[in-house]
Amino acid sequence: MTHQAPAARALEAGMPIPPLERALTQVRMVAYGAATWDWHRLHYEPEYTAARNIAGPIVDGQMFGALLAEALLDWLGPPAFIRRMSFRLRAMVFAGETVRCEGEVTSVVAERDFDVVRVAQRVRVGERIAVEPASAEIVLPR
Amino acid sequence: MADGVTSLLTEELRGWIGREVAYAAPEEIGRASIRYFALAIGDDNPLYVDEAYARAAGHPSIIAPPTFVCETCQYAHRPPNQDGYIGHVWELPIKGCRMIRGGHEYEFFRAVLPEDRISVTWRLEDISEHGSSRGGSMLVVISAATYSNQDGNLLARNRETLIFQPLEASR
Repeated sequence: MTHQAPAARALEAGMPIPPLERALTQVRMVAYGAATWDWHRLHYEPEYTAARNIAGPIVDGQMFGALLAEALLDWLGPPAFIRRMSFRLRAMVFAGETVRCEGEVTSVVAERDFDVVRVAQRVRVGERIAVEPASAEIVLPR
Repeated sequence: MADGVTSLLTEELRGWIGREVAYAAPEEIGRASIRYFALAIGDDNPLYVDEAYARAAGHPSIIAPPTFVCETCQYAHRPPNQDGYIGHVWELPIKGCRMIRGGHEYEFFRAVLPEDRISVTWRLEDISEHGSSRGGSMLVVISAATYSNQDGNLLARNRETLIFQPLEASR
């Protein structure tokens, strides 16, 4: 949050979004479940996941939406407003894994008195793709 | 499964398409819930906790992280089911399948504020049957949640895709 956010005119297609890495420990997953009132056993109970042939407690898919948004707003700063996001979940992420959110600008388009930055993003765990495709539209006041 | 002719998409299931259910939170979101969410994610953006910073950025107060409002469990007032879950679910007549979250599309109309009291309407938009990459077929259920506040201001929309795979095909 300490860097200078880039102006829309400094952005162009292909420019990378500063990556965000986060260790999704079981503690963080329980904290997220509590903060979102989501008590589903999938997210913390190994016996429950084992009985369903799942390797361990799995990360809530919407947590990736939160992380992808965080990466965008850390990058573009407080005037930025995300008006649209979409993401497809490709593979499960398990307790204790570290995810990396990355992406790049796909277009910058002027609309009335603001600019709209479109991006493509993905979430990976090492070489494994957990979330892709993901896209977002961010409004930047001029 | 290639010779399996029974369709997962029954007439009974088709009858669920178009159903709606609404939930309303009894109180406003509040600053503590917003701070808790940011802390849980590990998001240290001062917009979520620092009043002066948020005002300097043009907001009336601190704001919620964008996807906060799309987590719907807190509005649903349901008892925990056998999975421990208290959020919205359609009790769909689907047997012998494992549910997998496919993805989300979010639209945000304005920043969510601590004083917002959230109402949400879920609509079951579509249920369709598709061939699965694992063989056999699977059901794709698309629902949309629309969130507004106590003054009727539209805040966000969340289109969610859930996939139901037959258990024998998912192993």
